[in-house]
Amino acid sequence: MNPTTFNAVAEVLTTKFDVPREHIQPQSELQSLGLDSLSLMEFVFAIEDHFGLRIPEDRLDPRQAQLTVADLCRALDDVLAPPAGLAAAA
Amino acid sequence: MQACITGCGVVSPLGNRLEDFDDALFEGVSAVRAEELQLPGAGPSRVPLARCNFDESSVAAPSKVPLDRGSAMALAAAAAATQQAAWAVGDTDPERIGLFWGSGMGGAASFDATCRGLYAEQRRIRPTSVVTAMPNAPLAELALRYAVRGTAMGYACACASAAVAIGEALRALRDGRLDMAIVGGSDALLSPGVIGAWQAMRVLAPLGGPADGDGRLACRPFAADRAGFALGEGAAALVLETEAHARGRGARWNLQLSGYASNCDGLHITQPDPTGQARAMHAALRDAGLAPGDIGHVNAHGTATTAGDAAEAESLRRVFGSTPPAVTATKSAMGHLLGAGGAVEFVATLRALQWRKAPPVAHAAALDAAFEIDLVRGPARKLPGLNHALSNSFAFGGTNAVLIASRID
Repeated sequence: MNPTTFNAVAEVLTTKFDVPREHIQPQSELQSLGLDSLSLMEFVFAIEDHFGLRIPEDRLDPRQAQLTVADLCRALDDVLAPPAGLAAAA
Repeated sequence: MQACITGCGVVSPLGNRLEDFDDALFEGVSAVRAEELQLPGAGPSRVPLARCNFDESSVAAPSKVPLDRGSAMALAAAAAATQQAAWAVGDTDPERIGLFWGSGMGGAASFDATCRGLYAEQRRIRPTSVVTAMPNAPLAELALRYAVRGTAMGYACACASAAVAIGEALRALRDGRLDMAIVGGSDALLSPGVIGAWQAMRVLAPLGGPADGDGRLACRPFAADRAGFALGEGAAALVLETEAHARGRGARWNLQLSGYASNCDGLHITQPDPTGQARAMHAALRDAGLAPGDIGHVNAHGTATTAGDAAEAESLRRVFGSTPPAVTATKSAMGHLLGAGGAVEFVATLRALQWRKAPPVAHAAALDAAFEIDLVRGPARKLPGLNHALSNSFAFGGTNAVLIASRID
């Protein structure tokens, strides 16, 4: 997980969704951040807008149990810089 | 019983503070400008628009849902109104507070953007698209911001929406159902799809020739050469209170909402009817306990369409006869704010009462010779004895709404 990605995700959570910064850790489950289901989905769109990309739907349903901030960051990192094997396949 | 007006706020093409609004209003400064519209499958065209200098990202959504620009304007206008009223959450029993809000097309611009994302960019639809774009989205955000428990009613009567919202609040206060109401309207619809829809209707002033310049004089209400309106955007909010409630919390005010009436033509979906308009003005006068001669100033609906102005000039003649009040038409300066127009124009009417002068229209074109109205042109006109003023809002669909405000000092 790229720390820059994590910090940007934390920034969106604090500024747009009023999540206290101290509640946001890589291992924090998305469902534990105090967002309702609508806000969780909106959060994914806010992240996509922030990074100017689109997260493949099969990588991420934020309502999925136990999905963590780090999982989200890894999904973002993969879109930002796809693993070599996937890039070759594409 | 009348309603005390203890606060008002605007977000408008003429400014977002009452001081700036006044400066432009009484100087007859137009905020209308020509802009290029490029729609898929059509060549570029020029359209007259009046935009607000307003950054919606500066407004936090009480719901945390993405705000439609119109909802953000509603929140900003209500914040200014409640601040002027020196009222805060907790000052009133929440079950005795009501919200009455008008919007013509709600979040149509946001929905236009959603559809563009879906059809042109194959983008997923946001899960909040419905609650961002629904016509009562501004109401919902305001209800959250002000913890309203009494009622939250939205009115969609096209260009009479906000005037109807304000008037229906007066009735609720009179009925004793509420002590206080936050009222007004908002519409921010300057997206390509919505502008294109109005353009297709051929009601926007054409900007073809070099004489049209930068477009600021495109909207010429009651002029012989009038050709349509400019599309504007904005919001206005008022705090209305019963006198007992206003006195009880030590509020100060010198303006009141004295009368209201609404009716419907029931004749045609777009063509206005002078008979229905005159009935509405007479009914509002009766509601306020006033005679036509008591009205010193009228803020006309004045859309600058050929048929619209002709009907209104005729209805004004029928109501006021040979002693017409000073008439202005502020759409010449700020465009047509659609569902918000009735609220912003009512604020303009209140400012006229406050300063006891009538703002001029923002154009200098010759009055249509067929009209027997006293249109204020050139400088603002001082009206030292002005105590009662009337604001007209006439809508597609036939709804006519008339508000009357009075000075009480």
